[in-house]
Order: sequence, then C-alpha cells, then structure tokens
Amino acid sequence: MPETIEKVSIQLKVNGKSHSVSVEPRTLLVELLREHLDLTGTHVGCDTTYCGACTVLMNGAAVKSCTMFAVQADGAEITTVEGLEKDGQLHPIQRAFGDAYGLQCGYCTPGFMLSAMQLLAHNQQPSDHDIRKAIAGNTCRCTGYQNIFKAIQLAAQNMKGAR
Amino acid sequence: MSNLTRGLDRLYIRPKTLDEAAVLLAGEGGQVLSGGTDFYPALGDQLPRGRVVDISGLRELRGISADAAHTRIGGLTTWSEIIGAPLPRGFDGLKSAAREVGSVQIQNRGTVAGNLCNASPAADGVPPLLALDAEVELVSRVGKRRLPLADFIVGNRKTVRRNDELLTAVLVPRRLDDAASAFLKLGARRYLVISISMVAAVVQLDGSGRVAEVHVAVGSCSVTARRLSKLERDLIGAPVSGLATRVTPEYLSPLSPIDDVRATARYRLDASLTLVQRALNYCVGNS
Ligand SMILES: Cc1cc2nc3c(=O)[nH]c(=O)nc-3n(C[C@H](O)[C@H](O)[C@H](O)COP(=O)(O)OP(=O)(O)OC[C@H]3O[C@@H](n4cnc5c(N)ncnc54)[C@H](O)[C@@H]3O)c2cc1C
Ligand code: FES
Ligand code: FES
Repeated sequence: MPETIEKVSIQLKVNGKSHSVSVEPRTLLVELLREHLDLTGTHVGCDTTYCGACTVLMNGAAVKSCTMFAVQADGAEITTVEGLEKDGQLHPIQRAFGDAYGLQCGYCTPGFMLSAMQLLAHNQQPSDHDIRKAIAGNTCRCTGYQNIFKAIQLAAQNMKGAR
Repeated sequence: MSNLTRGLDRLYIRPKTLDEAAVLLAGEGGQVLSGGTDFYPALGDQLPRGRVVDISGLRELRGISADAAHTRIGGLTTWSEIIGAPLPRGFDGLKSAAREVGSVQIQNRGTVAGNLCNASPAADGVPPLLALDAEVELVSRVGKRRLPLADFIVGNRKTVRRNDELLTAVLVPRRLDDAASAFLKLGARRYLVISISMVAAVVQLDGSGRVAEVHVAVGSCSVTARRLSKLERDLIGAPVSGLATRVTPEYLSPLSPIDDVRATARYRLDASLTLVQRALNYCVGNS
C-alpha cells in the first residue's frame, strides 16, 4: 500500500446541500458523513454490516453507509437523520418515535427512522408484515422492537392524515 | 485514452463504458466492485488489495429487457429492481428469492450478478436461476461468451469467470414464462439470515393437467446449488394430484450437505425433502 493514497473528487448532495469533496477511495460513506461533514447523527453500531445503525437514504433508497465507499455515492443525493426535520419542525416519523416510546438509548434510532422513511414514501398503509420487512435490516438492543413497530404505525397514520 | 492511462496508477476507478472497463481489466486488472455487499464484508479490517474497478457506472449493464428467446437481466440489476419489475410468472420464484436476500438495504445495493459471481453455496439467487435454465453472458476485451449458469459456478466461491471478464447479463429462456415457480428458504429465523436449505421449483403443465416439464434446484446443501435431475425426469407425465408425495429421500442423492454452525447434514437433508415437496405443492396449487 502506497504511503499517500490519491484522493478522488466527488460531488454529492447531502440533505439538500451540495458538497464537493476529495476523499481517499477507502473512505466509507459513513466516515465521510460523520468525520468530514460532521453529520454525527448517522451511527456505526457494528463492523459486520449487520446492525443497520448507519442506514441513510441514497436517491431515496435505504442503504448501509458502512457498506459503501464514499466514492460510490458520487453524484447521489443522500438523506441522513439531520435532513428529516424541516424549518425546526420534527418530521412525523421523528415525532412518532417520541410519542410511541420507540427508543430507549437511541443509538439505533436514526437507522430505523430512515428505513421507515423509505417504506412510508412508497406505502401509505403498510401492513404489519410490510413494517417488519422494512426494518428487518435494523437491530435494536433496547426496545424489543414492539414500540418501534408502533411508532412506524403511528407515523403512517399521521402522515396519511396530513396528506 | 489519456484518461485510461492516468487510471493505471489509481486505486479506484469507475469506468463509464463497458469498452473502457474491458480494456482496464485486460490491462492492469483490478477487483470488480458492484453493489459491494459481498465485497465490503469480505475485506474485514483490511484495505482492498490492488485496484478496485467500480462497474456501477456502466449503462450497458443496466435494465431488464426481453427478445423473442430470452429475458435479459442486466449485470447491474439489483434485487430491489427484480422485486419491482413486471416479470412473467416463471420469475415468481426469483422474486421470492429477491425478497429474502438480506434486508431492504441489501436488496437496494446488491446485484444478481454479484450474487452469482461471489458464488457462495448459500447464494439465494442461484437455485431459482438454475431452475430457470439461466445462462450468463461474460464480456472481456477479447469477446463475449455465453454459458449455462450450471457450468459457470464450479465450487465454493469458485466460478469460471476470468479476472478480465465481466458478467454483463443473465439470460432466461422465454420458454418458461408461463410456468409456475416457487422459492422456499429455511433459516434459523425469519429475516436477515443465511439459508440452511433453499429450494426453487419451476413446473410447466401440459393441456391435460400432467407435468410437461419440471425443474428443481436445492441450495446450501452442497458446495454449489444442484438440480435434482432424476426427480425431474421421473416426474414428467405425472398427474398434479399427489405430485409432492412422489418425492422420496433417494431423489436427494445429488446433494452432499455438511454439518456446520447452522445445521447438521441430516437436518439439512430432512428439511430439503420437505421444502421440495412444499415447493412442488405450491407450484401445482398455482397452475
Ligand atoms: C447484511 C448482509 C446480508 C446478506 N444476506 C444475503 C442473503 O440472505 N442471501 C444471499 O444470497 N446473499 C446475501 N448477502 C450477500 C450479498 O448481498 C449478495 O450476494 C449480493 O447479491 C451481492 O451483490 P453485489 O452487487 O453487492 O456484489 P459485490 O459485493 O459488489 O461483488 C461480489 C463479487 O462479485 C464480483 N462481481 C460483482 N459483479 C460482477 C460483475 N458484473 N462481473 C464480474 N464480477 C462481478 C466482485 O468482484 C466480487 O468478487 C448479504 C450481504 C450482507 C452484507
Ligand atoms: S454500522 Fe452496522 S450495519 Fe452499518
Ligand atoms: S434504543 Fe438502544 S439500541 Fe435501539
């Protein structure tokens, strides 16, 4: 491995804001978000690509930002948990996680909320099965999942009401 | 060309055309990176060795199309794209498999071609595509070749793909468009799980309700997924009623399951028998 690694210039939009950055090809997307862009809401919960704490949206699709190099997000639009609120107002999914006690320590929560975002963007009336399937790639060590499940149901109701 | 030569000392390169990629792989070479969902975990705490050729920018490898003879699944097609595509019912089994690959995050990134090239004995994409008589198309600088999937995967994580070749498409014969198909996966839990056994079946009936053609493939029970050819031959002409009861344990003899952390060999065989029967029942129930 050479001492200095040639950097690659990429452009991406994160939470609506354009960024041009130079990264080493080995930099993970999650490292770019947390360490270069200071968006520490996206968490790293494992080094086996299993836990889903690092889930973000890439062009609207939930992806694990620890299982991608940042260079692979060149030209993409990324949404992290910081991008959910609008004008100081929490997103209905964020409010529902609070109202339904869908979190305890909160470490897993950003990932669950972004998985829920992809689900609810395409499916206004998700079945129980749809919800379980949508969060199958996210692990929570605290809640036992029931309240997360209820939070997503609640968010679905509230978002439907708002449309 | 200046762009390419400059690329030779770079660790990461994302070619824009298939030609460019083929030239790169034929020259300095490099490790192919697609969705990265097998590539990245395989690194562990190491950096990639040598150069990485990211193929995600190759437009030629995108999309699903069909001509008179084949449905063509482009080499960058993700599992989520398979789930969302309007495919004939012969693909129902492949769609079920797509829904079982990891979780939504993995299905959004992981590709069918990556699953085949990685060639894990537990790759969920292999049995349904074997059961569909799929072929793979490989392209390199020197040309294009096409071979049956059954000849492409030759062992545990071993394929006949040369390092300079890309899997550009999976081709499925249209002959099986109207067949009933199923995929069943058994794991230790419902989601995000590696298969203990998985079975894909494709059943085509004739006009009188008898079996005209049947294909059954079993995965996770040998180094590569296997078709049960004797069973397939013996079931031709059989009536649909009681079809599954014709599947006796002897028909599983092509399998050579192992004991590992997920299950014992005996359990795998026993479970596979039940899965084969259920998959056939599912197909004839839906014919
Ligand atoms: C959390 C998790 C859960 C998973 N669960 C499952 C599961 O349930 N079932 C299952 O089957 N798999 C599972 N996988 C494995 C993986 O997601 C799939 O095998 C996926 O289809 C791989 O595709 P990819 O595009 O990500 O491949 P990559 O990781 O990009 O590549 C895989 C290999 O194939 C080569 N390659 C890729 N594309 C091409 C091409 N077009 N031409 C030539 N070579 C190529 C690469 O060089 C590499 O060696 C899981 C992975 C993770 C991280
Ligand atoms: S940090 Fe655990 S899956 Fe990404
Ligand atoms: S709330 Fe603590 S891990 Fe989920």
